Amino acid sequence: MSIDVVGLTVLGVFILLLLIFASLGRRWQPSFRKLPSYEALGTAIERAVEAGERVHVSLGTGSVIGPESAPAMAGLVVLSRVASATAMSDRPAVATTADGAMAILAQDTLRTAHARLGASERYEPTSGRMLGATPYSYAAGVPAVLANENVSVHILNGSFGSEGALAADFGERRQALVVGGSDDVHAQALMYATAEHPLVGEEIYAGGAYLNAGVFHGASLRAQDVLRVLVILAILAGTLLSTLGVIP
Amino acid sequence: MKLGAWIVWTAVAMAIGGIVLAGYFVDLPELQELRLLFMRWAILLSAAALLLGILNLLAAHMHKVSQQEAGWPYSGLLIVILLGTLVLGLVFGPDNRVVLSLFEYIQLPVESTLMALLAVSLAVAGVRMVARRHDVYSLIFILTALLVLLGTAPWPFGGGGLTGYFGWLRNWLAQVWAAGAARGIVLGIALGAIATGLRILLGADRPYGD
Repeated sequence: MSIDVVGLTVLGVFILLLLIFASLGRRWQPSFRKLPSYEALGTAIERAVEAGERVHVSLGTGSVIGPESAPAMAGLVVLSRVASATAMSDRPAVATTADGAMAILAQDTLRTAHARLGASERYEPTSGRMLGATPYSYAAGVPAVLANENVSVHILNGSFGSEGALAADFGERRQALVVGGSDDVHAQALMYATAEHPLVGEEIYAGGAYLNAGVFHGASLRAQDVLRVLVILAILAGTLLSTLGVIP
Repeated sequence: MKLGAWIVWTAVAMAIGGIVLAGYFVDLPELQELRLLFMRWAILLSAAALLLGILNLLAAHMHKVSQQEAGWPYSGLLIVILLGTLVLGLVFGPDNRVVLSLFEYIQLPVESTLMALLAVSLAVAGVRMVARRHDVYSLIFILTALLVLLGTAPWPFGGGGLTGYFGWLRNWLAQVWAAGAARGIVLGIALGAIATGLRILLGADRPYGD
C-alpha cells in the first residue's frame, strides 16, 4: 500500500482552512474585491423581475462525471440564488444544459428554491432542461430558448468549449445582459470578446460568495487565496533551488 | 420526514465522494476496487440520466406544440426527427449505415457550419468590444489579437522581412505571455474546482436538492 502524503496534506490543509474560515465567517466578515460582472448581474435580475422578463442560466456542455462538472456545480449555486430571486415573479428562471444528469440536478435546484419560498405550485419541470446532447447541438438550441422565453439576463456558468462563445453571442444579439465564464482557458478567451461581462479565471467559482449563498462560499474564496499564496511561494522556492542546482 | 431525506442524500454523497477521493491518494487494492465500482455506477446512472434528459427535451417541445407557442413547427420537426432517429436506431442498430448516414450527412455538416459561424461571430464581437468596452484590458486584448493575426496570416507578395518579424512576435506572445498567464489561470481554476468539490463533500452545497 502506498500513500500520496503530499496530496493528502494539501487536501487536509484545504479542508482545515475551509472549516476555520467558515466558523469565523459570521464574526469576521470577508471583504472581496469588486467584480463588475456579479454587480451588474444583481441589478439586472431585479430589473428582469420587474419587467416580467426571464433569467436564463446555462450550466454548460460538460458531463456530471468528470472534472468539467465543477464549474456546473458552481453554476447550480448561482441558479439556486437566481431561482430564489425570481420564483415569485411572472417568469421564473430557466436553466439549460447538454447533459441529462445535469438537467436533473438543475430541476432539483429549481424545485428546492421554489419549495423554500413556499411556491412549489409555480415550479415547472421543463424549466430545467437538456437542449442537445453535443456541444454544438446545445449551442444551436440556445437562440430558441432566448427568444421564446423572453430572456433578458443570460448567465453562462459551466464548462464550455468554443460553443460557449456562440452561446454568449446569441445573448448579445438579443441585447440581453450576458455574464459568461468557463473552466476552459480557450473558451474564456473567446467569451472575453463575445460576452459583455466575462468571468475570468476562477471568477466562475466565486458566484456563490458574491451572491451571498452562505458562509462556506466566502470561506472557499479565503481558503483559495491562502493556498494560492502557498503555491506561488512553492513555485518561487522551486525555481530558486533549481537555479542554484540544489534540486535537479 | 423531509429533514430525514436530505440527511440521507448528504450522507450518501459524503461517503461515496470520500471513498472515491481517498482512492486517488491511497493505493489500497480494496479501496481501488470500491472506487472503480462507484465510478461504473456513476457512468451507468449518467447514461440513464441522458435518457431522462431526452424525455425532458421531448416533453418541453410537445408542450410547445400543444400550446402552439412561437416557433412550434420547429419543435414539431424536432419531435419527428428525434423519434425517427430513435426508431431507426432501435430497429437497425446504432452501427447501421442508415443511422450513421444521419450523423454523417446531417448532424456533422450542421455542427461544422456552426463552428464556421464562430469566426464571423468573433469578428463581430471584436468590433463590438472596441465600440463598447473602453478599458486597458480590452485594448491589450485587441492589440494582441491583431499582432497574432499578423504573425499567422499569409502576407501578400511574400511580406518581405515583416513575415519573420511578426512570426517571431507571435511566438513570443503565445509562448511567453499567453502560456504563462494561462498557467496562472489554470492554477486558479484548479483551486476553485477543488473548493467546489470539497463544499459538496462537506455537505455545504447540496446540488441534489433538499
